Amino acid sequence: MIWSTGRRAITPSNSIGSPRTSLFKKYFLALFAAVVVPLVIAGGSEAWFGYRDQRSSLNDILDAEARLAAVKIEDFIEGIRGQLGWTVQLPWSEETGQSRRLDALRLLRQAPAVVSLTLVDPTGRERLFVSRIGLNRIDGGADLSANPAVIGARSNRFWFGPVTFQDGSEPFMTVAVAGNRSAVGVAVAEVNLKFIWEVISEIRVGRTGEAFVLDGPGRLVAHPDINLVLQADEAAQRPLQALRTSILANPGQAATGQDIAGKTVLATMAQIPGVDWSVIVKQPLAEAFGPIYAALWRTGALLVAGAALAALLAYWLTQRMVGPIRLLEDGVGRIGAGQFDHRISLATGDEFERLASRFNEMAGELSLSQERSERINRLKRFLAPQVAELVDRTGDDRLLDGRRVEVVVIFCDLRNFTAFSANAEPEQVMSLLREYYDALERVVSIHEATLISFSGDGAMVLVNAPVSCSDPALRAVNMARDMQVSVQKLLVNWRALDNRLGFGVGLAMGPATVGRIGTEGRLHYNAIGNVANLASRLCSSAENSQILIDRVAARAVGRQMPLVELDARTLKGFDEPVPVFSVVIGTGN
Amino acid sequence: MRFAPRAFAKAADRMRRRDFIALVGSAAAWIVPARAQAMPVIGYLGSESPERYSSRLSAFREGLAEAGYAEGRNVAIEFRWAEGQYNRLPALAADLAHRQVAVMVAAGGAEIALAAKSATTTIPIVFEMGGDPIALGVVDSLSRPAGNLTGVSSLSVEVSRKRLEFMREVRPGTEIFAVAVNSASPTSNSQLENLHAAADSLGVKLIVLKASAEQDFDAMFSTVREKQAGGLVFSSDPYFAYRSHQLAELAVRHAVPAITQSRDFPIAGGLMSYGGDFRQSHRQTGIYAGRILNGQKPSDLPVQRVTKVELFVNLWAANTLGISIPPSLLSSADGVVE
Repeated sequence: MIWSTGRRAITPSNSIGSPRTSLFKKYFLALFAAVVVPLVIAGGSEAWFGYRDQRSSLNDILDAEARLAAVKIEDFIEGIRGQLGWTVQLPWSEETGQSRRLDALRLLRQAPAVVSLTLVDPTGRERLFVSRIGLNRIDGGADLSANPAVIGARSNRFWFGPVTFQDGSEPFMTVAVAGNRSAVGVAVAEVNLKFIWEVISEIRVGRTGEAFVLDGPGRLVAHPDINLVLQADEAAQRPLQALRTSILANPGQAATGQDIAGKTVLATMAQIPGVDWSVIVKQPLAEAFGPIYAALWRTGALLVAGAALAALLAYWLTQRMVGPIRLLEDGVGRIGAGQFDHRISLATGDEFERLASRFNEMAGELSLSQERSERINRLKRFLAPQVAELVDRTGDDRLLDGRRVEVVVIFCDLRNFTAFSANAEPEQVMSLLREYYDALERVVSIHEATLISFSGDGAMVLVNAPVSCSDPALRAVNMARDMQVSVQKLLVNWRALDNRLGFGVGLAMGPATVGRIGTEGRLHYNAIGNVANLASRLCSSAENSQILIDRVAARAVGRQMPLVELDARTLKGFDEPVPVFSVVIGTGN
Repeated sequence: MRFAPRAFAKAADRMRRRDFIALVGSAAAWIVPARAQAMPVIGYLGSESPERYSSRLSAFREGLAEAGYAEGRNVAIEFRWAEGQYNRLPALAADLAHRQVAVMVAAGGAEIALAAKSATTTIPIVFEMGGDPIALGVVDSLSRPAGNLTGVSSLSVEVSRKRLEFMREVRPGTEIFAVAVNSASPTSNSQLENLHAAADSLGVKLIVLKASAEQDFDAMFSTVREKQAGGLVFSSDPYFAYRSHQLAELAVRHAVPAITQSRDFPIAGGLMSYGGDFRQSHRQTGIYAGRILNGQKPSDLPVQRVTKVELFVNLWAANTLGISIPPSLLSSADGVVE
């Protein structure tokens, strides 16, 4: 039962218990992290740099828009200044300003923003006044030399007055232009700035961004919503001034602030030099940052999708790794539990498959080894362990098959044991038999003979079957002698119990049929034939400490062993007296 | 007309979007009758008849459309017409106020604005007039009109003296000019003052002819002939403006050179006109009415002044009258009828 103890050592899968952490978790986390971490780093950095790029390009775009808007507003003002320039090209003479009237009327027609035009001669007198509303005057003659517009234009070629809000509502500005010589005088025009609306309302920044204009003191001069200008409500315009202040605080940078409606906007500014106006373009922050937000959303979505993909991939890969491991574990468990016919079927084509086939080979080997050890166990019942091992090693079970072979059969038994056992205590009988069997087994084993059976105080031993050996007769005789020596040693002690006890051995050589006899459950190896009979009879015939052998054996031993030929004896079952030889047991032995 | 093409394009652009919205809206209204009942009502007070107002009304509807409204789709308009009888205006205004309209539009002159103002202090009113709304006591401030009124004012009243100037320019030889004044108009006194001051600086004499009803017109033109005045200058008054065709006919029949505020006059055969662009002012009225329907308060809408003043000349009439129009005048004309 070696195997059953072995089984207990291999299989206790339940006693290992569940592992502290699973391979699945480890591999899953590692694979997941391997994909997600670079993804997060890449996505995050891309988002950050994208934000910075977008922010700076937004800055540039808004800056360009502000410049463009400023150029458009400047064009409006320059247009009027240019128109006025035409009226101050010719010098004044004494004749009336009548000839200039046509020019002036044409100017009003050309420049709808100009409400009235005054032409002043070099002496500072009003020579011509034309208006859309008031009556025209020719040679009005009023002295305008102290008029700030005239003084300003004379000293600086042109002059822009402050923005005034007529009736607290409509923005107006005075523009004065002087000719390149003092003789040509000065043209002074009243300009209705409501007309800038046409320009400012055309400017679009992005989708809903707008531009507006503040004058030096921060009053709204132009706005796409003309009502804000006409309301001329300085309190309401304060956020716009704050916006301008914050742009000025960080020149070249787009500033964030609130517009009149309270919306958060991104704004940049450009100055219009001559009039000291600020053109501010603004774009709602949400719109300006729209692409950034979109990009962030995209990155986020990609990250989520990537993470999901990574999780799936990690799950799949881990499953691919752990699945075979579990299969292997299960298979090993089954094989460990003695299910040697179990095969682990893995077709992963990688190391796992190799490992599985190794396990399968191992299971095969184990199965073979179990079969072998079972066979050895079986053989050991009647073969000396060495012989059993040998039979097993040669792997030739047919050795035990029935055949006819020349064997030496040895029978031995104790004399007067039956009488002794009848009177002795059973324990005594048992212990005595145990010692007796041990001694015999030892000797049989040493001589590599086959112990066929014990029966009571007797035993039957076979030499040259199932394993053949050289010189079986001599071996058998030597063994018989050793038996005698061993048992006689025991008998010395036993005689104290019963002095009639003795030990005799009979040995015969000849052909016999040997082989396994019996059913699967009770299998015996035995020798059948005359020789067994003869050996048994010789044993019975032998006296204490005597070894009787038949003539065949004696002849086979020859002179190698001192033998004494006794008288032929009449043995039961034999018609004629049988020649008998006795082995001389040397005193030295 | 620099405004016009862009404005039209914009209006057309909005029209498409609005058409869609209106279509959806009307579909909803068709399914849910309650929606139709909830349609806001504009009370429109006019001093004349729909026919006389037709060009103004189309401009007004254009403005409404710009603000996102179309009559019958998402707004209803309740009209009250005084048919030229200005004394009926207060009663009509009171009627509209009684109807609890969402917004009252008083377009076409100071009389209408004042009638509307006296009818209600709660219903928002959008006016359209020629004079100075502050001087006439319609509003106290242009930038932030207190109360329930806002609107549009054109420069027509202010420029009546320019009409005298233009008339003198085409009739350089004459010293006497006739001036037609509607004595029922709240602006008549200020305009007369204005005209007298202008006559003084131009060195001409004025014959003031008062007319407050259509039956006075014929006599007026006869008087110009009799007194051998150089021409007839009409003060700015809606009553005259809405009767441009009639006046033009009379001017042709009596062979009187005349100038009015409305371009309809030279187009119908009269000699000249100089005044504010009524299409612009009525369109702006529509925009304001729409914005009030959208929830804005009148005090948030500054009174807008239509800055454009246009000069129209009918060369055919000038030829018939034997008048040569000086090139300086022709060059500054916004429209020339030939």
